[in-house]
Amino acid sequence: MHLTFSHRETWLHRVNPTLKLAVSVLLFVAALFVHNPNVMALLAAASLLPLLATGHPPLRVLLYASPFLLVFISSASGMIMFGTGATLWFELGLIRITEESFYRGLHLGLRSLQVAAVGLAFALTTRPVALFYSLMQQLRMPSKYAYSFLAALNMVPLLADEFFTLRQALQIRGAGPGRKGIYGRLRMYALPLLAQSIRRAQRTAAAMEARRFRSGSGKRTYYYVYGWSRIDALYAVSIAALWLLAWLLGTHYPLLAATDVR
Amino acid sequence: MKAADIILKGCIRSHTPTNGGEIGAASTPLAALAPAIGSGRLPSMTNASGTGTERPRHADEAVPAAKRPTPPVQHAGPAARVENLRLRYPGEDTPLLFKGLSLTIERGQKVLLLGPSGCGKSTLLQVLGGLVPAAIRIPMKADCCLVPARPGYVFQDPDSQFCMPYADEEIAFALENAGIAREEMPARISRCLEAVGLCLADPHFPVAGMSQGMKQRLAIAAMIAMEPDALLLDEPTALLDEEGTRQVWSSLRSVWGGRTVIIVEHKIAGIAEDMDRVIVFGPDGSIQADGSPRLVFREHRELLREYGIWYPGFWEDYDRNAAIRPAATAPSSGVRSAELLLELDGLEGWRGGRPKVRTGPLAVNAGDWIAVTGVNGAGKSTLLLAIMKLIKTKGSLYIPGIPVQSLKKPGDMAKHAALSFQNPEFQLVTDSVLDELAYSLPRSLREPERSSRARTLMENYALDGLGGRHPYQLSMGQKRRLSVATAMVGGQRLLLLDEPTFGLDASGTVRMMEQLERLRSGGCAILMITHDPELVRRFATRQWLVDGGLVAERSGGTACI
Repeated sequence: MHLTFSHRETWLHRVNPTLKLAVSVLLFVAALFVHNPNVMALLAAASLLPLLATGHPPLRVLLYASPFLLVFISSASGMIMFGTGATLWFELGLIRITEESFYRGLHLGLRSLQVAAVGLAFALTTRPVALFYSLMQQLRMPSKYAYSFLAALNMVPLLADEFFTLRQALQIRGAGPGRKGIYGRLRMYALPLLAQSIRRAQRTAAAMEARRFRSGSGKRTYYYVYGWSRIDALYAVSIAALWLLAWLLGTHYPLLAATDVR
Repeated sequence: MKAADIILKGCIRSHTPTNGGEIGAASTPLAALAPAIGSGRLPSMTNASGTGTERPRHADEAVPAAKRPTPPVQHAGPAARVENLRLRYPGEDTPLLFKGLSLTIERGQKVLLLGPSGCGKSTLLQVLGGLVPAAIRIPMKADCCLVPARPGYVFQDPDSQFCMPYADEEIAFALENAGIAREEMPARISRCLEAVGLCLADPHFPVAGMSQGMKQRLAIAAMIAMEPDALLLDEPTALLDEEGTRQVWSSLRSVWGGRTVIIVEHKIAGIAEDMDRVIVFGPDGSIQADGSPRLVFREHRELLREYGIWYPGFWEDYDRNAAIRPAATAPSSGVRSAELLLELDGLEGWRGGRPKVRTGPLAVNAGDWIAVTGVNGAGKSTLLLAIMKLIKTKGSLYIPGIPVQSLKKPGDMAKHAALSFQNPEFQLVTDSVLDELAYSLPRSLREPERSSRARTLMENYALDGLGGRHPYQLSMGQKRRLSVATAMVGGQRLLLLDEPTFGLDASGTVRMMEQLERLRSGGCAILMITHDPELVRRFATRQWLVDGGLVAERSGGTACI
């Protein structure tokens, strides 16, 4: 089972992974302090833009991005239909749409969209190996945590394969007496999968020690070295420019009537 | 431990890179790499050679091979030694695994450790390499414990030896741990891959896309990257097919050079004759025989047979003494009137939206023992899954007397056919052997009969006395027999097995085969995936060959694969 998909390397891949992570986290947090839906709409659009530069075929990006629509609708609709407000537009039973709740819902949906798009752009352009190497080098992350994460990521596809095999095995054996309900079923899956994973983790740990992996002590060299380059500056500047542009346009040329949803 | 390190440090650290066969020649360290690094960096090369930072060398020192220290094979003296070793697994009432074992392995010696499963030979290998107790904490005591300065390991399971997703990154991980300079890594990586015969166009090759045999060769390459003075291999071929096994042994032979090699393995064909020394352990962890392979395999056959260890000529001896005469070789086979159990016609098994395997018109009769053979990835396992309707299928599958509509789901098929997976643990769902057997018994069956049926099954499958054990605490052979027993509880007459002898020792294999033969002669039909030509020749009555997704009867008997 493969979890990697072929794609082109773009300049976004060459941005320092630690910087990319820091900027993405910063964008998540910054989005919480935006209360103008006009700005939020432009920010969401600006966050979708980098997806075109991820080097993955547009159709595949569209496929990955399809859940965004769901995220948008689900987070927006709840607030739109059940939120409170003074200016009533529409009412039917429990559903009560007001002007305030409509804009608030829209804002919430756009925020979810922005967060999802930033996260996807990060995930599509950053290999886990690159991220952890960069974290070890830029943020002095202890190597034992970095390599443990990488080893654990390696096990995910194996775990998925085992899950499917286990499901087939249980289909054949059928449900016997006294193994009913969610708890029973959870147990039937969790126990063998956990047993396999724990044993595999022990074996991997022994193999890593056998390659003389010593946590903490001694200096290591790195196969991949991550530093800073002009691309990092380009990345930081372009993200900042996009945000500034969105903020200026949103405040000075609002398209929606509401400018503050608080 | 500490004393041992000190004794060995001086002589080993300095000459490790020169002793390997191909590797040694390629890694004439500094002279060969100096141009690659560039003259501007010469000062930093003193500690970039990777052979230990405590002994700085200058580039102009790295001259003719003759001036370098002599390889360790010419040194007399032990590579590893334990004296009066006592060890036990953690736990309250576990017996001592070794009671005062003493063993010395000379430098450069190639040693094979044999013994019945559970005798502690894998643990001993970890002691001899210093992994126990430094990395794996098992309580042990010894009067003297001398371990190699730079041991390299290869383990049994190809899927759990790697912590990085790509081949080059995995070898680089070993190089990083040794503090090798980054500039040197690409050259070293390709040299290591070449040395084990892994010819990858680009070393940045995903590990997940490799066959099991390739993965084990990568593990050897990563081991060699650390320039070890001793190679320790813990059943490196136990989970490989014939082809992978051949590849691993040939890789190992091409890199071992003058290094000490210690191998624990029970599939010894293809490597035994290259060893200098074979040591046989008894079930209690004591040394029962120790000598050259020729001597041990000639003088101690009885012992090896008793312990269930493979040795050259095992099957010939089996043929002479077998209690059960397999159908394939019995003169009376084929007399039985054929009773049809299963008929396939153009059955297709689909995976990932594509047909992966397709059968011709094939029939399975009672008393058939069909060996399903073919190279890895040909679709053998997919065929079994398709017959059980566990994957999407097309084409016809017919069981006499059963309407086609009630053969569509895995639950329906399970009433007529049993499948035993390669990893039996997935099929075991309860907390004890007895519960496991009772689990699948018909619900209508009431108490005293229920447990008495389960007990009879335990006797039939040589599991008596184990009723209270947790299934995971059984040996591999016992788990397999239990999984077959539970699969056949419902009185199915068709048994599908995915490599039932995989990873079993000789006695486990023989037991499994004799159990299956009893089922077959009792009127069942068996479909068994296997890679072992000896099993096909001895036990199967027919053979299906899966080639490129096409399943066809192999005519002309079962004499060879």
